[in-house]
Amino acid sequence: MLKVENLTHIYPDGTVALRDVSFEVPDGEFLGIIGLSGSGKSTLLRCINRLLDPTEGKVIWNGVDLTELDQADLRKSRREIGMIFQHFNLVRRSSVMTNVLSGRLGYTAPSWSLINRFSRKDREKAVAVLERMGISNKAYNRADELSGGQQQRVGIARALMQDPKMILADEPVASLDPVLAHSILGALETLNKEDKITVLCSLHFLDLVQRYATRVVGLRDGRLVYSGSKEDVGKLSDQRFKDIYGEEAQRLDTD
Amino acid sequence: MTESNQSMTKTSPLQGLLSAFIPGLGQFVAGLRARGFYIFATVFTMGGLSVWTIAQRARFPDYGLSLGIFLRLSVQAAALLLFLLAAQRLLTRFILHDPVAQTFSGYGVGILYVLAVTYLTQSFLSLAAAGVETNQYHATTAVFAAAAMAALWIWQIGDAARVGGLSSQQPKPSIGSLIFIACVIIFILGYNITGINLPKAISEYQDTAILLPRMFWPWRNAFEYTQEFEEATQKIQAPCPAGDEGPPANSPDPDVAWVSATPTCGDLSERPITGGLMLGTELTITGGNFTPGQVVDILWNNPIGNAFRPRGMGPTEITIDLDGGFSTQLNIPDAVISASTAVGAQIHTLVVRQSSEEVFTGRLSQDMILALELMLQTIMIGLMATFFGIILAFPVSFLAARNLMAPVVSPLNRIVGSGIGLIAGVWAGGIITGQIANRLGGLAEAPIQIFLAGIFAVGMLGLLGFQSIGTLFTRLTNSLGAQGTGKVLTSLVLAALAAAPGYLLGIGFSRGIRSIVLGDEVAALQESTYAIAGALLLALVAALYGMLRRSGEGVKIGMAIYTVSRTIMNIVRSIEPLIWAIVASIWVGLGPFAGTMALTVHTIAALGKLYSEAIESIDQGPLEALQATGANRLQTIVYAVVPQILPPFISFTIYRWDINVRLSTIIGLVGGGGIGFVLIQWMRLYQYENVGIAVWLITITVATLDYVSSTIRERFV
Repeated sequence: MLKVENLTHIYPDGTVALRDVSFEVPDGEFLGIIGLSGSGKSTLLRCINRLLDPTEGKVIWNGVDLTELDQADLRKSRREIGMIFQHFNLVRRSSVMTNVLSGRLGYTAPSWSLINRFSRKDREKAVAVLERMGISNKAYNRADELSGGQQQRVGIARALMQDPKMILADEPVASLDPVLAHSILGALETLNKEDKITVLCSLHFLDLVQRYATRVVGLRDGRLVYSGSKEDVGKLSDQRFKDIYGEEAQRLDTD
Repeated sequence: MTESNQSMTKTSPLQGLLSAFIPGLGQFVAGLRARGFYIFATVFTMGGLSVWTIAQRARFPDYGLSLGIFLRLSVQAAALLLFLLAAQRLLTRFILHDPVAQTFSGYGVGILYVLAVTYLTQSFLSLAAAGVETNQYHATTAVFAAAAMAALWIWQIGDAARVGGLSSQQPKPSIGSLIFIACVIIFILGYNITGINLPKAISEYQDTAILLPRMFWPWRNAFEYTQEFEEATQKIQAPCPAGDEGPPANSPDPDVAWVSATPTCGDLSERPITGGLMLGTELTITGGNFTPGQVVDILWNNPIGNAFRPRGMGPTEITIDLDGGFSTQLNIPDAVISASTAVGAQIHTLVVRQSSEEVFTGRLSQDMILALELMLQTIMIGLMATFFGIILAFPVSFLAARNLMAPVVSPLNRIVGSGIGLIAGVWAGGIITGQIANRLGGLAEAPIQIFLAGIFAVGMLGLLGFQSIGTLFTRLTNSLGAQGTGKVLTSLVLAALAAAPGYLLGIGFSRGIRSIVLGDEVAALQESTYAIAGALLLALVAALYGMLRRSGEGVKIGMAIYTVSRTIMNIVRSIEPLIWAIVASIWVGLGPFAGTMALTVHTIAALGKLYSEAIESIDQGPLEALQATGANRLQTIVYAVVPQILPPFISFTIYRWDINVRLSTIIGLVGGGGIGFVLIQWMRLYQYENVGIAVWLITITVATLDYVSSTIRERFV
């Protein structure tokens, strides 16, 4: 259960990226976050795991207010929250294996990390996760040798290594073509359904939201302007759509 | 000047008049404030430059005199320019009606002006040079600066009149011409100050002709040659008072080489101070039993035992006849010892030396061996300095990387903890060190290791202390609440912590600045007052900080560390390695250690900067991703930063290694060991062959290194 209460984030240059955003995400939900570029989607996701410190408001994750935690406790909480990124954020020069294993760092003693050592269990887990993502044959390739879709799978594998209860996905398919987009979102859907992992996923395309999300929130200029179930999204009128995406927005039917 | 025909019709004499008195004022009044200011600044600067150069030139103690000269010169130059411009105006108005001809007359005015100003130099020189050593460079600079200033002054009067007439439309100021004039002035000044003298460079080139061939092909000195000598001698007495017969002349020897002279007694040549040469007694020298066809040297061995080739006294290289004999004439050379000290008859020796062919032994000469050894030392200095530089620059570079340090915000309790921990550590370390040292026979006799152990103890205890004390402090403040009492308590602890450095600062201030101003004794009387004042001051600042800060807000310790380490690195880096070598050679004495130390210091700063810039340019994405997994700072650095910075690090390191070996070749010039150490000695002893060897070795090493380093860098990056 994730509860976001009155979240506000103001960047040091004075830009207000989030204004008083509140919503709840029950366990097992696939929450789609929609909104234009610059509407605060990324800021919202980063405030949840405190990659950015919120200026005001609370993020309550399973009863614990993440905004109040000190660094050591925050790291423990972050282990349960995986994150995947639009640009994958892999270490391009390291092997796929190392990238996947680095998802395990939160559970590894820092002194072991100095000599690049992971336990046998972690290594076996990494192999299993790569197998599940269908890229076990690329385990010892350098990360930048993989295609975009494969790199995003490595990103998901890295998040899976954390044994996450929730995954934050920051526009995970924005740099991929439509076919790959479906395959990546399909993978996330599987994790959501089979492993009961809560997914918070920001997306650009309304039809992808309609296809995958079980619930949707919409942001505009940092404000929460829409909140609805899967069915509501299906019936989203053009006027409502324009409320979220702005007056000039057009529906774009991708398939 | 070029736009004059455009606005000839409307001019404002008033503005021109204003500018005639204060340059730029007319423009300023007309509303072109920037233009006015530029003109004023330029005229003023050029005036200052010429006054300064005149002062330099004449080295007059009183400035007023040179100012007078300068004013007179400026007026002359300005009058000349006015005259020429007026002439040109008349010429173009009444005689030349062709625009091309008008342009050329403009050039003519310019050339005439320069020529006339050059001519003016003569009168100016005679004016300012009276009785003082002349220095033509500064004189010409001053003349041209003053002339340019006069030209600018006159031009801007016209300019002010013109822009004064253009009330509404305001043309862009012609900054270009101002910049051009400024460049010319700076060029003339620089040319003179650096003493560039091309004629000298051309006329005296032959001096290098002696040196360059010896340096360019020094290899004869690099190897050892053996040569055998066979010598025959004849004793000669000089001077020869009447009646003396001198030593007996040798008689021919049937077995070995011999030499004989007649007479064996004579007078020395003399070189009077007034010049010329008075030849001494002429000797007839005969010899035999030498190798036929070979060349023998005739040497003179004076009574002190110095053998030399007597020049100008007769042939000194004789080819032996086919029967092994020779015969020649030689005047007794002049004595090295002056006649007044060489009293009485003295015995000189005539030496005829037959040398065998030089035989190449296949061994290196002593100088070559020395050069090679020192070259090795040089390379090692470079290597060691790079090695230590890497080890120390690596951690420092992380502290100086903005992107890593900016987010480092430490909660107050950790900082308070480190403060208390450090103080506790110093205290405990001091006690432990003192105890151990006492057991070993007092502080003075204790070995250095004890103190190192003490420092280690300080560090460890401090580090161990701050975590737990920090936690304790948090508990304490939490139990009291973050507001009210808790806040007051926090402030009190902060104040207590700040008091110690404040106390030391107070003492430092008293001992340093006050004792310089007031003298040691007066300063010592109030030392404790100042120490307490310092402690109170810092404590007050800390307490205020504790009261005013928002609770829960961390201290931006990262940016503080970043700023401090960047500043230190920039300062250290801007001091040249040669200067560090001077410092190090005073510290640890002359030799390779000093050089290594100097280069290491500079390498840390230089590499630290390059490294930290490499860190700042990494892709932040992976860093963010690893933070999101719950990795701590150390882990993100190992897994997200290090893989990204490895290629640039290797590249920079090899680059620096390259630089270090180059630098270590010259660091010996100031006593830092390596080949530079002997290079400068050989240079001063005029042993240009050896200098050549050293230069060759340096060139070979550096070129090899250049090739190797570029190859390695290509492969890695």
